[in-house]
Amino acid sequence: MAFPAKYPQLNETELTDEARSVLIRVIRVAFPHDNFPDGPYERTADTILKEAENSTWFRVALTQGLLTLSHLAGGDFRDLNEEDATKVLRRIESTEFFGFIRRTTVLNLYDNKDVWEVLGYEGPSFDKGGYINRGFDDLDWLPKARVELYDGPKKFVELAGNVPLAAHRGAETGAGTAVPAPAGQAERDTSNQPGKRAAEMAEVKK
Amino acid sequence: MTAIEHGEEAIVIIGSGAGGGTLAYELTAKGIPVVVLEAGPYLTNDDYVNDEWEAFNQMAWLDPRTTSGSWRVARDFPNLPCWIVKAVGGSTTHWSGATPRFKAHEFAARSTYGRIDGASLLDWPITLAELEPYYDKAEIAMGSTHVHGRKPLPANNNYIVMANGAERLGYSFYATGPYATNAEEYDGRPASIQDGFNFQGDKNRSKWSTLVREIPRAEATGLLDLRPESHAVQITHDSSGRADAVLYLDKDGNLQRQAAALVAVAANSIETPRLLLQSASPMFPDGLANSSGQVGRNYMRHTTGSVYARFPDKVNMFRGETMAGVVADESKHDPDRGFAGGYYLETISLGPAFLASFAEPGAWGREFTEILDAYANTAGLWIVGEDMPQESNRVTLNTSVSDKNGLPVPNVHFDDHPNDVAMRSHGYTQAELLYDAVGSTGSHRTPPYPSTHNLGTSRMSEKPQDGVVDRYGRTHDVPNLFISDGSQFTTGAAANPTLTIVALAIRQAEYIADQLKTGGI
Ligand SMILES: Cc1cc2nc3c(=O)[nH]c(=O)nc-3n(C[C@H](O)[C@H](O)[C@H](O)COP(=O)(O)OP(=O)(O)OC[C@H]3O[C@@H](n4cnc5c(N)ncnc54)[C@H](O)[C@@H]3O)c2cc1C
Repeated sequence: MAFPAKYPQLNETELTDEARSVLIRVIRVAFPHDNFPDGPYERTADTILKEAENSTWFRVALTQGLLTLSHLAGGDFRDLNEEDATKVLRRIESTEFFGFIRRTTVLNLYDNKDVWEVLGYEGPSFDKGGYINRGFDDLDWLPKARVELYDGPKKFVELAGNVPLAAHRGAETGAGTAVPAPAGQAERDTSNQPGKRAAEMAEVKK
Repeated sequence: MTAIEHGEEAIVIIGSGAGGGTLAYELTAKGIPVVVLEAGPYLTNDDYVNDEWEAFNQMAWLDPRTTSGSWRVARDFPNLPCWIVKAVGGSTTHWSGATPRFKAHEFAARSTYGRIDGASLLDWPITLAELEPYYDKAEIAMGSTHVHGRKPLPANNNYIVMANGAERLGYSFYATGPYATNAEEYDGRPASIQDGFNFQGDKNRSKWSTLVREIPRAEATGLLDLRPESHAVQITHDSSGRADAVLYLDKDGNLQRQAAALVAVAANSIETPRLLLQSASPMFPDGLANSSGQVGRNYMRHTTGSVYARFPDKVNMFRGETMAGVVADESKHDPDRGFAGGYYLETISLGPAFLASFAEPGAWGREFTEILDAYANTAGLWIVGEDMPQESNRVTLNTSVSDKNGLPVPNVHFDDHPNDVAMRSHGYTQAELLYDAVGSTGSHRTPPYPSTHNLGTSRMSEKPQDGVVDRYGRTHDVPNLFISDGSQFTTGAAANPTLTIVALAIRQAEYIADQLKTGGI
């Protein structure tokens, strides 16, 4: 996609305003949020353009990619509806071009107050005294929940009753977990790849 | 702060996190001076920021690493196999705080589970009974809720959803802990203000970390020589095979040598084996303390996964303690479920920035954006369970890539064991049923994040040929070399590891102090 150039000047390209507006559309189609205004998408496009400025490889990939897009779109990518535009992006999703846009978008689009507000994330809280007096437990559509450890009649069974094992040393301690050891199986096996023992595992499903 | 001469044969601890920070405090409290070499800077709670990526960049270990194997992390985050902190306090600065104990049978995994193909299961050389007194000490030090008279934390929104779902599903053993964050003032630190930024370092100091407790207390003894921005690169030995010094790079990149009477490595499970492998010599051609060939092997990361469920009404999961919610019902061993070992379900919350990056890496389009659009109405939980140790899951030195110091970077190889896959899929299903029971309208199965629990790469064993360290974390091969972090874990158990790392370090400190007194080292 990108060609190694003998002379770096050959890669000193710049992206036009039109390219920027195609890029904004690509991001919106790839990461569609009906509630997001244009601002976050424009911000993200500018971040991508800036990163591309710093890397010849990505700049060339971006230039080539935007060009390819109009070929696949059979015209201006911006004229496609969301469904058709998504189809075009699916065809190029494994390209360096799209991967670069996707990664940079994921890392940047959601890392800003402008979208946090839309999504309902309230962000930094320490300076406001945390959430302890600002709704950390204000959920009211379910009953209050017990916070203490269970103290009822059920006993927690650490080892299922059907475990056909014997002298596991774990049984030396821990109330209620001891399984009595049948005679003759008390020997310990600590070797690295031990052979078959009396204990059988239930079949492990792949 | 005490300055210890570089030429003086000192007790040298590498790493200041859960293992190293605890060992440093426990030894200095017994009157033993120590040098702590910490690769990261000395940041304090005031430096922390309530912002996911900014905090990550500020403190995460970002030195390059490589990955291989079939785990998805190798594809999605090839240079970020794990989330470990590089700063004074280590990963306890970013940890959330869940502190369950191991169960008795989990110290005897090989005997309990039997032979499992492809797994290098082994029994620990210690039992729960032996560790119990140290669990008590660790819980008291860390201020774990629900035990030793510590009050439970209140229920936050994310917990209210999980606990109600658990109850309706028929689970009983749920609570807001045990969780090492203050529900009320304790140990000179304030109660939680539920700010929701555990993973970013708790500015309020309500959460236990070695930064807020062990390090300042060790400093107060006057016996700690803490050297931040000091990256250990090699442990050297004398002609008798005893460790005699640690070579490290100081903050200006200059190589320094600290003479050592004893070395304890607590650099977390990637850097610990890396350092041992980097310390290979003609006497130890496969790496220091590696006559067993087990250094770097049996790398475990827990079987994890998350489920984010959407509801018709608001949840606001981000408000409050990130992981103050633990369901223990599935932490049992019950082979009828189709796998060995157990798992916990614990609340988890990410902000939009992290959720976008980790919910479904590589995804885009409406299937992806609906996860974010539902953000305010989303509840989340994390599955954390025992994974099978495998010899081939392994940290090695990547000889084709070096870091800025010219040292080979560690490569982390990982493949899921079929038991891990079966457990994860059971966990996903149970989590979905749990959320369905309280009316979820949809949910997403999120794959494991880069590993926050890194274990097993210098494991404890009875016999020297099976592992790297003995029952006290002392290497089988080098009498004055100890491993003091989660690398020691013989198997991973279902529980989050840090309480056990701290308990082992407290126990190890007693042993070292005793051995120093009796000339046993
Ligand atoms: C986001 C997050 C949430 C977590 N939540 C929980 C939880 O709820 N419960 C739980 O039990 N655990 C949790 N953990 C895991 C917990 O943080 C770790 O288990 C624990 O901190 C590991 O202790 P350690 O001593 O092995 O290593 P660390 O605490 O990571 O400390 C290792 C230290 O060694 C330093 N170091 C490394 N290499 C060198 C070198 N060559 N020279 C000098 N210094 C070096 C590092 O900079 C670091 O400071 C969480 C972790 C994360 C990241």
